[in-house]
Amino acid sequence: MSNPMVIVNEVSKSFGEIVVLQGVSLTLDRGEVMCVIGPSGSGKSTLLRCVNHLEKTDRGVIIVDDHLIGYRREGDALRELRESEVAVQRADIGMVFQRFNLFPHMTALENVVEAPIGVRREGRAAAQERAMDLLERVGLAHRVNSYPTMLSGGEQQRVAIARALAMRPKLMLFDEPTSALDPELVGEVLDVIRDLAADGMTMMIVTHEMAFARDVANRVVFMDHGAIVEQGPPEQLFGAPREERTRTFLLRSQDGAAQGT
Amino acid sequence: MSAAGEPRTEATVEQLVSAGADLRVKRARHPGRWLGALLIAVLVAVLVRSVVTNENFQWDVVGEYIFDEGILSGLVTTLWLTVVAMLIGIVLSVILAVMRLSPNPLVSGASGFYLWFFRGTPVLVQLIFWYNLAALFPTISLGIPFGPSFIHGSSNAIITPYVAAILGLGLNEAAYMAEIVRAGILSVDKGQDDAARALGMKRSRAMRRVILPQAMRFIIPPTGNETIGMLKTTSLVSVIALSDLLYSAQAIYSRNYETIPLLIVVSIWYLFLTSLLTIGQRQIEAYFGRGHRGQAKGGRRGRRLPWSTTAGADQGAAR
Repeated sequence: MSNPMVIVNEVSKSFGEIVVLQGVSLTLDRGEVMCVIGPSGSGKSTLLRCVNHLEKTDRGVIIVDDHLIGYRREGDALRELRESEVAVQRADIGMVFQRFNLFPHMTALENVVEAPIGVRREGRAAAQERAMDLLERVGLAHRVNSYPTMLSGGEQQRVAIARALAMRPKLMLFDEPTSALDPELVGEVLDVIRDLAADGMTMMIVTHEMAFARDVANRVVFMDHGAIVEQGPPEQLFGAPREERTRTFLLRSQDGAAQGT
Repeated sequence: MSAAGEPRTEATVEQLVSAGADLRVKRARHPGRWLGALLIAVLVAVLVRSVVTNENFQWDVVGEYIFDEGILSGLVTTLWLTVVAMLIGIVLSVILAVMRLSPNPLVSGASGFYLWFFRGTPVLVQLIFWYNLAALFPTISLGIPFGPSFIHGSSNAIITPYVAAILGLGLNEAAYMAEIVRAGILSVDKGQDDAARALGMKRSRAMRRVILPQAMRFIIPPTGNETIGMLKTTSLVSVIALSDLLYSAQAIYSRNYETIPLLIVVSIWYLFLTSLLTIGQRQIEAYFGRGHRGQAKGGRRGRRLPWSTTAGADQGAAR
């Protein structure tokens, strides 16, 4: 058996006085889908942003596909990598953001081909052909020449997923991919992610969609106050949570969902 | 609801409802606007009449000199001074703005010092300084610090009036443009940088392909103003005996004493050039506004006059 795709070991991080992560450890196997849930401010998003080094860690190591992310070992110390070295590591890790972050001055197609051409040095024709395939896969073949402002939130998020996939990532990170969407647009984005899971993509998904997490995840991680409270298969975590805090959180988010609909 | 007007009786409500879709919508009346427009029209007529009939304007002399050879060559000097000074200003300002945003305090401090110095002294003083550089540094050499030099010569030979003018105007402009560029860069959403970096772009590439093109939307309009300002600021170079548009006119009226007509000639040319620049600015704004339907512009103005500054870019942007 090969090593896990992601190993997070004893990672801590503070923003000044505020501790956001305290000794977080987890592993994610190849082809596995992990959903990270928890109240806002629990450190879920920060943890995700540490995995591709958009945030620096203060302690601990993160290893993706056998590469130490963001640092190089120098004896008993970790030397931070230069931005250009981190860039090479990030190219293999796809990320999808809550606010889509599409490039507004580029069309959907230009958004998708930008990194393959500029970072991977692929030929324009090949990159465009593949981008068309990806946009078709997320159901947007008819929108390739639209600018982001002309697309709905759900369409923008699907373009963002296609943009990340165009780099042929080994791992996909989703940072609350449906939190900024109108309720009726959530489904179309979740369907695309479900489709990726069926394809065997390794994914780490921070989400508030409990039903989706239960449905798509192999493993669910519940975080609170910068630490992992409990993790396990969805049936166990949702069906028979061991920790009191998990139970309280699940009950509360159920109430919220009931009120929301 | 209960505004003044017809009494609200059930009969009138019934009439309104039954007339319904057959009623035509007419625009509100604006008697005040009509009165204002009339007043302005009268004032304009009076002004035009006095300009045309007042002999002191000497329109025949204006006509005689508008395409004068001296004036035209001055015009060319003004034009290329503007272009070169703005180019230096823009290129240098992007460097200064990126330096200003650097996490290294020495780098950002150096940029800050530059801004403080060049914005803190009048450009006229800077121009005269550059012109008289020889008094400070009699010789100039370019090479490796404390090592061999490649170019060596007397300041008077190297700093010609042209060089002094370009240095003075360009370096000063860079300081002002740097603040514009910096504000433009800061106006781009932080998520754009996140997305670019998450895709594996290096800093320089993210800046060039993602951040700066978006910052352009905020940088272009003030840059248009700066260019128009520069066109007129170049007239200061007459103090270092460089024959720009104004200096050429001065040279002529010091001989024939036709001061007013020649200043009119100069003003006509400046107005003509600023009008051209305004049109060019609109085209560029429309280009960088792509992907943003009209929200880049002031927008609300309905009818556009040819000399209004923010016009018609909305249609161009909404491709």
